[in-house]
Amino acid sequence: MSIWQEILKNVFKKPVTIEYPKVETPIEKDSRGLQYADLNKCTGCSLCAIECPSNAIEMRKLPENIKLKHNPRGLYPVINYPSCIFCYRCITICPVNAFVTTSEYRLATETDKLFSDVYSLKTLGQG
Amino acid sequence: MTLLTEAVVKIPISLEVPVGPQHPALHEPVVLKLYADGEEIVNVEILTGYNHRGIEKLFEMSSFYKGVFIAPRICGICNTIHANVYVRAIEQLLGMEPSPRAKYLRVLALELERIHSHMLINAIMAEILGYDTLFMLIMRDREYIMKAKEILTGNRVTSEYFMPGGVRRDIDDTKRERILDLLKRVKPRLEYYKKLFETDPTVTNRLIDVGVLKPRDVVLHSLVGPVARGSGVKTDVRAEDRYDAYGEVPWNVVTRREGDSMARMLVRWDEALESWNMCEYVLTHLPGGQAVVDERKLPRVLPPGEAYTRGEPPRGELTYYIIGYGRDRPYRVKVRTPSFTNIINSGFSYIGYSIADVPVILVSYDPCIACMERAVLIKNGEEKRLTLKELANMKKR
Repeated sequence: MSIWQEILKNVFKKPVTIEYPKVETPIEKDSRGLQYADLNKCTGCSLCAIECPSNAIEMRKLPENIKLKHNPRGLYPVINYPSCIFCYRCITICPVNAFVTTSEYRLATETDKLFSDVYSLKTLGQG
Repeated sequence: MTLLTEAVVKIPISLEVPVGPQHPALHEPVVLKLYADGEEIVNVEILTGYNHRGIEKLFEMSSFYKGVFIAPRICGICNTIHANVYVRAIEQLLGMEPSPRAKYLRVLALELERIHSHMLINAIMAEILGYDTLFMLIMRDREYIMKAKEILTGNRVTSEYFMPGGVRRDIDDTKRERILDLLKRVKPRLEYYKKLFETDPTVTNRLIDVGVLKPRDVVLHSLVGPVARGSGVKTDVRAEDRYDAYGEVPWNVVTRREGDSMARMLVRWDEALESWNMCEYVLTHLPGGQAVVDERKLPRVLPPGEAYTRGEPPRGELTYYIIGYGRDRPYRVKVRTPSFTNIINSGFSYIGYSIADVPVILVSYDPCIACMERAVLIKNGEEKRLTLKELANMKKR
């Protein structure tokens, strides 16, 4: 048995390689991508920062002009994406299900995605 | 006469050929110091320690649940089984039992991983033989399994699928159908590649009768996994321990008698087909009920005690030994991976073959050096003595 038949068949097929920047990689909608805290729900309990296996979550103080009733300590989690291993432990451990999940996996293309504070503060504007 | 004896130049009977730690024929950092008499190998020294990461210490410094995410980092290709065996050790300490659905889903994740790992090492074998077309073709079809794994666990490689008491995400009927559809595409490919390995002269000429291991040698040097099964030694932790749902899913232990490199590769193709059947059985006979565990309700502090669990990664037998001392983190975690026995103990099997056969024999053992590095031997390094108090303080962050 020879591989020639298989090679000849493949000559007339489309290439399997995805031309990445031109064509998007097909990815599942629920695959583990970037996640950030929804500040409308987050109580600032710091459990995600304690449980994070790669110590990628830092609890920061909310900007001074923002006062939230459900967040008396005024803390919110900021995820350092380059350190994050996307295990989603923060999401499963959160007592108020405050995390928003996405399937965004491209970390290198845009620099404002290095930390999750941009996304988290945006959630307040929407709410 | 004395002058004559002094003038004689000593010719070494063997030539020292170091292969590695960086070498085109090796994919991982290990040194095979070959002593060759002409082309024939007379002795092999295996030197490791280039990839030690101190993971066991990291386990001791982190909580039990952080360890669930550290264990898969020991090996990328067999990450699910590392997490599985670690999680089962925690379950042993807690006296927990996962639900039947969770057990079935665990088997599905483990068997998908076995298929893609076996495809990968067969592809690498093709590449080592200089048969890059076959390498590309196998890697292309391996993507179906990676996609199935992504649908099941949420990521192509690191699955993060296991948690004490169950799994971390469930599948619905749509996902089940999609995984079944992907599996249906893979089966004819697996059968084709197996036939190709059996009949293609490019492969057979290099693999048959190379690196023959007798069953006695296998037992004597405690080799495990497909290496042992390729020599007719019927050993498989899945059959011996029947962990998770392996006692309920029908399957057979694959063995071959030849004991050469070809037998080891064909055992892997047969096992991949066997795993395919198991995946299909699991997807069609998936029991109902709750599979996902609520991680918020798991106890933070584990009772004192020891746990010892075994599992069967694609490469052989994996063991975890955990000591809990009534706190939120383990006192000690000992990991023994299959490559540790398969690579370090297999130096004898290269003797008598030519230098060109060395990569073939090494790859037929499916080396995973990153897994097995548990200690570093520093020969002429500095000696440092630590008191017990200093050692204890090292644990604190």
